[in-house]
Amino acid sequence: MAALIRRPRPRAISLVGLGFVFLIGVWLLVNLLKDPERFFTVFLIGLTTGLVYALVALGYTLVYGILQLINFAHGDVFAFTGLLASTMILTVFDLTDQDSAGVIILGLLGTLVVVVAFGATLNSLIERVAYHRLLKAPRLALLITAVGMSFIVQNVALAIYDVNFRRVPELIPRSDVFSIGGVHYQWNKLSVVLITIPVLLLLTWLVRSTRQGKGMRATAQDPDAAAMVGIDVNRTISFTFALAGGLAGVGGLLFLLQFNIRYDSGFELGLIAFTAAVLGGIGNLSGAVLGAVVIGLIQAFNEGLTWATPGSDWTRSIIFGVLIAILVFRPQGILGEQVADRA
Amino acid sequence: MSEGTSTERPTRARHPSGGTFDFISGPWQRLPARVRQWAPLAIVLAVAVLYPYIVGDLKSFATIGDFFPELDAAVYILVFTMMALGLNIVVGYSGLLDLGYVAFYAAGAYTAGWLASGQFQEVSFHFGSVGIQRDTQGIHVSVWLVLLIAGSFTAIVGILIGLPTLRLRGDYLAIVTLGFGEIIPQVVRNGDSFGGFNVTNGTFGINPIDSPGFGTTLNDAVGLPVNFQQSFDKFRLFYWGILVLLLITVFCSWRLRDSRLGRAWIAIREDETAAAAMGVPLMRTKTWAYAIGAFFGGVAGAYYASFKSGAFPSDFYFNISVFLLCMVILGGMGSIWGVLAGGIILSWLNIQGLAVIGDKFNDAAGTNFEIAKYQFGIYGTIIVLMMLFRPTGLIPERRHKRELEEGVHDETFFDVSH
Amino acid sequence: MAVEDVLVVEDLRKEFGGLIAVNDVDFKVPRHSIVSLIGPNGAGKTTFFNMLTGMYPATSGRIVFDGTDVTNKPPHAITALGVGRTFQNIRLFEQMTTLENVLVGMHARLKGGILTSILGTPGVRREERAARTRARELLQFSGLRGRDDQLARNLPYGDQRRLEVARALATNPKLLLLDEPTAGMNPQETAAFTGFVGKLRSEEKLTVLLIEHDMRVVMGISDRVTVLDYGEKIAEGTPHDVQSDERVIEAYLGRGAA
Repeated sequence: MAALIRRPRPRAISLVGLGFVFLIGVWLLVNLLKDPERFFTVFLIGLTTGLVYALVALGYTLVYGILQLINFAHGDVFAFTGLLASTMILTVFDLTDQDSAGVIILGLLGTLVVVVAFGATLNSLIERVAYHRLLKAPRLALLITAVGMSFIVQNVALAIYDVNFRRVPELIPRSDVFSIGGVHYQWNKLSVVLITIPVLLLLTWLVRSTRQGKGMRATAQDPDAAAMVGIDVNRTISFTFALAGGLAGVGGLLFLLQFNIRYDSGFELGLIAFTAAVLGGIGNLSGAVLGAVVIGLIQAFNEGLTWATPGSDWTRSIIFGVLIAILVFRPQGILGEQVADRA
Repeated sequence: MSEGTSTERPTRARHPSGGTFDFISGPWQRLPARVRQWAPLAIVLAVAVLYPYIVGDLKSFATIGDFFPELDAAVYILVFTMMALGLNIVVGYSGLLDLGYVAFYAAGAYTAGWLASGQFQEVSFHFGSVGIQRDTQGIHVSVWLVLLIAGSFTAIVGILIGLPTLRLRGDYLAIVTLGFGEIIPQVVRNGDSFGGFNVTNGTFGINPIDSPGFGTTLNDAVGLPVNFQQSFDKFRLFYWGILVLLLITVFCSWRLRDSRLGRAWIAIREDETAAAAMGVPLMRTKTWAYAIGAFFGGVAGAYYASFKSGAFPSDFYFNISVFLLCMVILGGMGSIWGVLAGGIILSWLNIQGLAVIGDKFNDAAGTNFEIAKYQFGIYGTIIVLMMLFRPTGLIPERRHKRELEEGVHDETFFDVSH
Repeated sequence: MAVEDVLVVEDLRKEFGGLIAVNDVDFKVPRHSIVSLIGPNGAGKTTFFNMLTGMYPATSGRIVFDGTDVTNKPPHAITALGVGRTFQNIRLFEQMTTLENVLVGMHARLKGGILTSILGTPGVRREERAARTRARELLQFSGLRGRDDQLARNLPYGDQRRLEVARALATNPKLLLLDEPTAGMNPQETAAFTGFVGKLRSEEKLTVLLIEHDMRVVMGISDRVTVLDYGEKIAEGTPHDVQSDERVIEAYLGRGAA
């Protein structure tokens, strides 16, 4: 089967790309020098948000690695889990900021378990119901179906939660963990790190060492060969979707704790997370995390720095600009290798 | 609309399974081929042209009368159906999943806003405009000319977007077009101070926008209306105007499909590597698809902006691109009749149908269910169901060819040996 | 003045990462000859073809077609210069009819543009009529008469192979590349096809380069045979020479079989 390999990029374009990166560096440097405290505060915010994005970006990259499919519905699954988390916290566990630390922690853990399970189940369900039958179909069909699924998930969330934003009380205090110079870092931000890092480590162990993980990597590389050595490709695909959905669940809860969520929040967040995955190198797990952190930083810098900054009105355009730029200048992302397009 | 049809009676084709309409298809098959080929078009055309005269009577029917659209809704329906035909060239013929078609709609609308309104108060330039005092500020070009300019400008926008985008693989192409479909409305929304210059008037949009018309000279000579918006039968005029534009679009789509370029597009859709190996220049051909698809989107957008007398950022958002995609999928990718059907059905649902159905349902069942709120869930469901069960659409492309084939072939769209 | 060798390949190399698929191969195809390229599976034959047609960029080396350097030119440009090809696993335009498949092959030879097509000018009409006539001739020549309006995906296997050839012929090639054209054919079909290739040379004055596994075809029709193994040329000569070459036998059957 003949594959089409992209020609080597003309030099001029690479130069433009590099020039651009250089300008960004200058911008950051100036801002750093002008107001270092603000810079580092914003930096930490970006880092933290980036970790939440990482959880969603991983979902995109896992599914893309195994199916070469951009699962458009993933962002909406993420938003849905966040909404479910709000129900768990507000209605089921009835947590408020007056409750003791122990109660809050237990409540959040319980919520975590529920949303992870929900995310995993929902994502697997979507794969079984919609994508499974189309795995042998032209790529266009699968992609279009994913777009349709995205809207279905959104509207189910709409039916349940209506158009309002959902938020939860400040369960994790915004008091400082530390404060160096004028740079503050709050507990609610640290909690993100405390939860995300173990999850990422768990994921790494799962992908590297378990049978399922190896099955995933084998199927991602060559589904036919994987089938020939006895790997149940269908089960592996379902497992991957479940895993991605579970990660989205964690992300949904963490996002809810920081910000608020609505039935259609998944669209923008999904695009941000997907851009992160592409930036880091689609199909590459560390890449997804790296890309997400970079995107988180970009967003935070854009919204937080003061000198020559476009501002939050332009965040969406900047993120899309990054996406387009990556796909044009360096489609394999930061960590990816140049891969031949499958025919 | 197949090429090379003879006038002699063709051999009776074996009917595909499912003879629900055999009582119609029996006598139908006995009509001469020429009649069978052109009759549907003639009937539909007649109904469309006469619609403004009969809409009043149609709406007076009990119960089902509510389902017929008023003329202003009909204009909306035809505008969006025209855009769907434009998208059909990109997605349906060439297989390029464009999720940012709304950018073309916006480009067309704002071109009308720039060239036929008081937006640019700094100058006073008139060229064939109707219904405006000669000394009014702003750029006021004849709307008919603006349509052409809007289409061309949008085509250029399409080419520019296509340059970085069209070399990408299918899924990346989709995301990047989505990105442009998002960037352009955001640019439009923030466009009230580009270096201090008010280009798009930001969130307030540009309004009013001039109206099409034929001017006083033609009015005196042949009785053509001076100015659509100020005419007493304004909606009829706008309706016939968009009907003509739609027919032009249909005609161009049809001619292109059976041309060298159209074949190249479909070849790219089927297997672009093989197409290249057969001498089809990929980038150039895909760019043409984009440009022409964009052209029609721009014309439609400009006309609609003139009709509504305004272009506002809130008119343009991602969901519209998916809405148009749904029309193409529902109707049948690459099928002109299909996209017409899909476009009319979905636009109608959007502007009137869902609300009417919802009301009737609520009246009957005593509920208070706001079905229109979930319209995109409905469109999403349509997309998924069509992809799973009938990917060729309601009226598949190539249907007329299949009728000539021996026997019944499996309808699978997807070759199992792929 | 026609160049003596229709195709000249110098030091052609293709690396995929660390894997060397084609290893500094020199290769010539004389005009009006029929050359077969053989070798065990994975020897790099299709990769070689793909470089000739511009589908893969070469890592290094030169490809000269009919006196013009075509190294790393895009596929459609190489086709326009006169190289036609078929594919190992049939790549027809499935939702298009037989006739339309062949018409696509003529894309580079026709001139119809957007405006002229929409307006249906006499020039375009004439061109389309002539194109259709020629397409039907090609289909007939390839043994596919009367199936003009059948969808390509509904043709039986043998006819699909024929259509691939007809389509390649529509590009008006000087050099025709056939990638395993007799795969899946029974002996009668293979014999018929071999005769057909001979006709291509004698009647259409084409030069043909084949990748083949079926030795009856190779021995029966080739003026010259080139053998690749692990991306390297290990033998070249008349079918008879190559048949008894030790290295060739080793490559196919393993050491000790010579």
